[in-house]
Amino acid sequence: MRTLIRWAAGCYPKAWRERYGAEFDALLEDVSPSLHDVCDVLRDALRARLTPPVEPWVASLAASSSGARFPIIFSVGAHALLLMLVAATAVGYVTPMPLRIGMAPLPPPFPEPPPQVTDARVFPTAFTLYSSLPLKPADGNVLPLYVAAGVGINFFPVPDIGAVYRQGNVERRVWPGQALESFMVRRTLPEFPRAVDMREAVSVFVEYVVREDGSVKVLRTSGPTPFTDSARSAVEQWVYRPLGYENHRCEVLSRVEVRFDGKFAQSELR
Amino acid sequence: MTDPTVLILASLAEGDKHGYAIMEDIQTFAAIRLGPGTLYGAITRLEKCGWIRAVNSDSRRQPYRLTADGAAELKKQLALFGQIVRIGNRRVKEA
Repeated sequence: MRTLIRWAAGCYPKAWRERYGAEFDALLEDVSPSLHDVCDVLRDALRARLTPPVEPWVASLAASSSGARFPIIFSVGAHALLLMLVAATAVGYVTPMPLRIGMAPLPPPFPEPPPQVTDARVFPTAFTLYSSLPLKPADGNVLPLYVAAGVGINFFPVPDIGAVYRQGNVERRVWPGQALESFMVRRTLPEFPRAVDMREAVSVFVEYVVREDGSVKVLRTSGPTPFTDSARSAVEQWVYRPLGYENHRCEVLSRVEVRFDGKFAQSELR
Repeated sequence: MTDPTVLILASLAEGDKHGYAIMEDIQTFAAIRLGPGTLYGAITRLEKCGWIRAVNSDSRRQPYRLTADGAAELKKQLALFGQIVRIGNRRVKEA
């Protein structure tokens, strides 16, 4: 019988055994177990397995009569509310709200500056260059074209055309600016510095490199400061399609002449 | 009247006792023999409720002590029993 009651004691949950096992075994050593005791232990072990552990706050809540009623009232109320909502939806009283998942509305487009063209009077023999802004908006109307008065760009022949300069692992090939025109994605024309009051023409030379991603970095400039600043800020906004040579990307070095002619600029400003 | 929790609380009201001592004491003062499972089932519930607590001991026989909350609960239960006994006695006399 003692073996039987020890087996029955082993039916308690593990957590219970860890807490009470040793003292319960001591108790079983003290008593003379009967079949009734074996059944008693089995019944309580089953109860311990079926009953979740009672936390102290639950016990204190259950001890008060109002506390005992609260969960029941809450549960019944919640179920009743849920049933009412289901019933109201079934008879069409409640319209399910459409689920709208989408992107936030885009901000209004930033106003682009008007399309520009270089002043043909500055370099009568050179190409007229357009800024890369769309000349036709979506509504089909033709935008007015503005002349960058007193500003011309000239792709002059470079003496070291085709040369390759290496800087670390980077390979830079010298191409004339004319050859890069078909790769042009976006061009910004320089502006005549408004603070300058002069009627002579000034030429600024800009040496720049087109990176592998198509962006432009100005390496050096030559000429008076207000004009080089204007030329530099414009050229650095140029964007090309990525350039390559023999199936591999490379950087391209080129040079342009930007001429600012105060005679034509001042006549437009007046 | 034979609620094991009240019997255990009443037994521990006298002083600290371990499981077997509680069984013997209850058998003495109430003539009720609690089975080991019933005893420890009640002890588990009482400890979770904070009405009794285990006392530090080196022995495998773990003694338990009545807490202040346990004493208050015991008084409340005994008052209820007293009321039942009083009313029951009066009704028996009237019958």
